[in-house]
Amino acid sequence: MESRCIGCRTCVEVCPEKAISFTEEGIKIERKLCTNCGICSEECPSTAMELLGTIWDLDNLVKEIEKDSIYFKKSSGGITASGGEPVVQADFVAAFFKRLKEMGIHTALDTCGFYTQKALDKILPYSDLVLYDLKEIDPVKHNNFTGNSNELILNNLIHIYDYMKKHDNPRDLWIRTPVIPGVTETEENISGIGTFIATHLKNGVAKWELCSFNNLCSDKYLRLGLDWAFKDSLLLTKDRMEELTDIAMNSGIDPDIVSWSGPVKFEKDDSDVESSKSKPRITKICSVAI
Amino acid sequence: MQPNAAESFQPKLKEPKNLSPRIKWLRDYYFEGSERLWNNDYTAWTTGTPWDILFDEMTFYIVPELYTFMQTFRSSIYQAARPVKLDKDFWSWSLPERKAWFLKEVMVNYVPQEILPGDLIAGARFNVQTSMCWTEEEAKKRDGLIYGKKGARTKMKWFHDHGYGNSGATSGHVIPGYEKALKIGWKGMHAGLKARYNLLSAKEQEGPRGDQLRAMLTVSTMPGDLAEKYANLSTKLAAEETDFERKTELVHMAGNLKKVPWEPAKNFWEAVQSLWLTHMLVMSDENYPGPGVSFGRIDQYLLPYWEYSLSNGMDREFGKEILKCFWVHANTVYDAMINVGNNGITSGYGQLITLSGIGKDGKDMTNDLTYAILEVIDELSPILEPKPNVRLHRNSPEDLLDKVVDSISSSQGSPFLLNFDERSMAGMMREAKRAGCTDLINEDNVYDYAPVGCLENTMAGNDRSGTVDNNLNLLKAVELTLTGGRDMVEFIDPITGKKDKIRQDGPETGDAGKLKTWGEFWRVYEEHTRYIVKRCADTYEASESIRAEFCPTPYLSCLVKGCAEKAVDITRGGAELSFTTLEGVTFATTVDSLLAIKYLVYDRKECTMEEIIEALEDNWEGHDVLQAKAKFRAPKYGRDDDEADELARKVMDLWSDEAWKYRTKSTDRQFRPGMLSWNYWVGDGYIMAASADGRPKGQFLSNAICPSNGADINGPTANINSVGKALGGRAKDGNGDWGDYLNSLPNGASHTITLNPVLLRDLDHREKFKAFLKGYAENSGTSLQINMVSADMLKDAQTYPEDYRTLLIRITGYNAYFTGIGRELQDEIIAREVHSNY
Repeated sequence: MESRCIGCRTCVEVCPEKAISFTEEGIKIERKLCTNCGICSEECPSTAMELLGTIWDLDNLVKEIEKDSIYFKKSSGGITASGGEPVVQADFVAAFFKRLKEMGIHTALDTCGFYTQKALDKILPYSDLVLYDLKEIDPVKHNNFTGNSNELILNNLIHIYDYMKKHDNPRDLWIRTPVIPGVTETEENISGIGTFIATHLKNGVAKWELCSFNNLCSDKYLRLGLDWAFKDSLLLTKDRMEELTDIAMNSGIDPDIVSWSGPVKFEKDDSDVESSKSKPRITKICSVAI
Repeated sequence: MQPNAAESFQPKLKEPKNLSPRIKWLRDYYFEGSERLWNNDYTAWTTGTPWDILFDEMTFYIVPELYTFMQTFRSSIYQAARPVKLDKDFWSWSLPERKAWFLKEVMVNYVPQEILPGDLIAGARFNVQTSMCWTEEEAKKRDGLIYGKKGARTKMKWFHDHGYGNSGATSGHVIPGYEKALKIGWKGMHAGLKARYNLLSAKEQEGPRGDQLRAMLTVSTMPGDLAEKYANLSTKLAAEETDFERKTELVHMAGNLKKVPWEPAKNFWEAVQSLWLTHMLVMSDENYPGPGVSFGRIDQYLLPYWEYSLSNGMDREFGKEILKCFWVHANTVYDAMINVGNNGITSGYGQLITLSGIGKDGKDMTNDLTYAILEVIDELSPILEPKPNVRLHRNSPEDLLDKVVDSISSSQGSPFLLNFDERSMAGMMREAKRAGCTDLINEDNVYDYAPVGCLENTMAGNDRSGTVDNNLNLLKAVELTLTGGRDMVEFIDPITGKKDKIRQDGPETGDAGKLKTWGEFWRVYEEHTRYIVKRCADTYEASESIRAEFCPTPYLSCLVKGCAEKAVDITRGGAELSFTTLEGVTFATTVDSLLAIKYLVYDRKECTMEEIIEALEDNWEGHDVLQAKAKFRAPKYGRDDDEADELARKVMDLWSDEAWKYRTKSTDRQFRPGMLSWNYWVGDGYIMAASADGRPKGQFLSNAICPSNGADINGPTANINSVGKALGGRAKDGNGDWGDYLNSLPNGASHTITLNPVLLRDLDHREKFKAFLKGYAENSGTSLQINMVSADMLKDAQTYPEDYRTLLIRITGYNAYFTGIGRELQDEIIAREVHSNY
C-alpha cells in the first residue's frame, strides 16, 4: 500500500463511515468503523486501497482458468482450492471442480477438515487429491489452541479414507502437520499422529508433510491492524525439524511417506540484511539484444 | 526424504569448467583484454588519395549514441590508415572491382598472419577499416548526399531527435551461404561465377553486371589465397616447434589450410577451419565486426563432417576442442576498439548460431553435435560469442529441455536465447504470402529458417532482411493524434542548446478535444500511424540508395544466393529474398496509452481530452491523481485481459499492415514488420514526450513486445499469453499461417522475462520451468530471453519498489511479487541468496 499511495486523500474524503485518516505514517483505517463497503477502493486513483479477494461467478472463473490450462497440462499440475476453508463454499467448489474435471484439469482440495460430512461429500467425487491438515492429535490441546476438539476432524479424515476405498476419486490423500514451536512441536504429537495414520488410515496416505512454522503472515496481521499470538515465535532449527521427521518415520508407518518443508532459522546474525538506501543503484535491469 | 524447500539456494556466478590446458590458456589470454600483446584491433587501410574515406557512417545511423562521434571516426580512422600500393590499372576499374581487389590485397598481402599458441584454427586480424575506393568525383558526390540540409545524415538525425526512432542501411544481419561454401569450396563458387560471367553477352560484360561478376570473381580467390599464407605460417611454426604433439598439430593445420576453404571440406577439422575463414572475411568485407553476421543451423550443416570424423576415429572431446578454438576466435570481434579499453567484452555483438529445431515433416533435428555444442558453451561460459539461439518446439526432446534449463539456471539466465518454431514459422509463411515469394518460402523449407543477430527470423544463404535497419517508435502516432500532427515538446539539441521550432510535421488533424468518440480518435490515430510508417520508409531510402550506389560488398555477395544469379550486389538488392525490416518499438507503451485515453476520456469520463493533453504537456507535474489513474486504474496490455489484448492486436494489425505497403525505391526491397527494440526503449524515453499511460518524459518506454515495466501484475503466464495474442494467437478455424498458428511479425518479436534464480533451485522446480517453456510454445511468442536476478537487485527493489512491481519470487510453496510482501519476508529471501547455509 505504501508504495502506491500518492497521498491524495481521496479515500479520507469518500469514506462514509469516517473510518480513514491520514497520519504521518500514511493511511490509517479504523477497522471497527469500516463496513467493507469498498467505496475507498473504488475511488482510489492509484489502487493503493484494495479490497482483498474478488467475487467470481462460476463461468468467469472457469474461463479464467482455461486461459492457463496449457500450463497445468504440461506441468502435470492443476488447481488447488485452498483457504480460508474451501468447504465453507462446498456447493461452489463442487461445481467448480466438476467443470475442471470435464476439462481434464487435476483438482486438489486443501482443507482443515472441520465441517459436516455432508458438505465434504459434495466435493470428494470431483477431487483428485485431498490435502488434509492434521495439527494436533490430543483433543484437549487441540481445543486449547483452536477452540475446538479434533474429534470431527479425525472422523472426517477416516471418512475420506473409507470413501476413497469405495470410489474412484479422490485418488490421493496427503496429511500436513504444521509444526508450531511450543504447540504442535512435541514428540508426543508427532508420534501420536503417526500412530493414528498407522492404525486408521493404513496404506491410505501417500504423503505426510511436516510444515515448519513460518512468520510470513506477520506483515498481513500488521496491515490488518491485528495482533498475532505467534508474532514473537522464532523459526525452528533444521536439526529440530529433522529430529521430528525421524520420530514421524519411526511411528509405525511407511517411512517413505514422510517429508518436511518450510523455512528454518538462520545460523548467522542478520547484519547482512540492512537497508540499501545509501548504496549505489542498479541501473541496468534488462538485457540488451542486437 | 525429499530435499526441503528451505534448503539454501545460492546462485553462483558461472565459471568455466573442464577446459584443457590449451583452451584454458587461450580463454585466459583472451580475457586479458587490452593487456594482450596480440589483438584484433582495427587496422585501417587507404588508397592514399587525399579524398579517401574509410568509415561508413550510415551503418551506424541506427546507433544514436554514435551520432556525435561520426566526424571524429571519419577523420581519426583516415589519419590512422596505412597506404596500400595500388595496381597500375586500379582507377580504370569499376567501383565493385576496385573494392574487391583492395580488400583482397589488404587481407592477403598487408594484414599480418599469426597463430596463437595451441590454437587449432587459423584466421584473425579481420577487424579492418578499408578504403571505400572512391574516385574524387565519387567521394564528392557521396558526401553531397550525406551532408547538407537535405542530406541523409540530417534526415536521419531529425527523425531521431523528434522521437520517431532511427533508420539506416546497416551492415551484417544476414546468414551467409556457409553450407554451400563448405560443400563445394571457394573453388566451386569461383567456377560457378566464371560460368555465369561467360554466359553474359559481350555488351553485358562491359556493363554493371559484368563489373559485378568480375569483382566477385576477384574476391572469391581471397579465402584460398589467405589460407595459403596461414598454411605457410603453420609449416614454418611446425619446423620451429620442439613439442612433438604441437608440431604434429601444426603440420595437420598446414594440411587443412592448403586444402580449405578453397577445396570442399571433408572432415570436421577442415569444415570448422573453412567455416571460420569464410565467416571472418564477411566481417572484413563489410568493415563491420560481428553484429548479426550469423551462422544459421550450424548443428545441422556441420553434422555430416562431425559424423564422418567421429566414425573415422576423431575423439569426441577433440572435436569439442576444435569448436572451443572456433569460439575463442569468434570472441575476438570485441577487439575492434580494444585500445579504448575492455568495454567491448561486456556487450553483445551477436554472431548468432542456431541449434536444434524442427526439420522435414515436423521431425526434431536435435543431434549429437547439438549436445556437443551445448557442452562447449557450458564449459566455456561465461563467454559471449558466438551467441546461441536454441530453437524449441512442441516436440523438443526432454533431454534438450533439461540441458537448456540446466544451463539457464547455472548462468543467470544466459547464455541462451530461445526461439519457438511454430510461431516463428507462421511468421515466415505470412511473409511468403504477403511478399509473394511462396516459391522461396513454403511448407517444404520454412523449417530451415534461422534467426540472425538475436531472434530476427530469416531464411539462410539467400536472404537479407535488414533486420535492424528501421526502428520506429509507434508511440509517436499517439502523440501526433493528441497534438494534431505536431511535436508535443520542443527539441533542444543537448550539445548546442539550439531549439527546433515546433512545426506541422504530420497530417493536420486538428484539435483532439473535438474527437467525440473513441472511434473518431482511433481513426485519427490510424492516419498518424500511416504517416510515421511512411516517414520511416522515406528516411530509410536516403541511406539505402547511397549504400546501393557507393558501398558494394562483393565478397558477401558471393555468399548470398541471388547476387551471382542476377549479377547484382547484395547492397543493391541482389539477394533472392531482399527485405528490410521495420521494427516496431514502444509497442506496450503505445497500447497502454491508447487504453488509458479510451478508459479515462471515453469510457469512464474521468477527465476531458484537454485535461490529459495539459497533463502530458506538463509532464504529469501537478496532475498526480490523473497520472495515478492512468497508471493504475486504466487497463494494460500484458495481463491476459482479453479486452486490453484485443486493442494490442488492433494496434499490431494496423502498423504491421502499413509496413507491408512499402518497398525501397532504389533497391526494390520489401518492408516487413518485426519487434526488436535493442536499447532504444531506454534512450528514447528521454526524447519522447510524456505518454498517456502515466509515463513521464525521461522514463523508459516499453521493450519490444514485452508488457510495460510494472504492468504485468497477473504473473508470467498472463504475460506470455498476452504476447501470443498480440501476435495473432491461434486461428479458431484451424487455418493459421502455419498450422493454426498466426503471426503478424515474420521477423519475430523480442520478449524478455525476469525470474528469480530460486525458481530453478531444484529438480521439481526445473520441471515446472520446463512446463512453462512448453506452454510458451503453445500460447506465446517467437522468442524468449530469461533474466535471473541477484540479491543486489532485490535490495534495490526494497529501496525502489515502484521499479520492481513485477519481480517474481518463489517463497515456499508459492510465488509472490517481491514488492507485495512484507519487509521481513523480503529480508529473508535476500538472505536466502546471500547465505550459503542455514
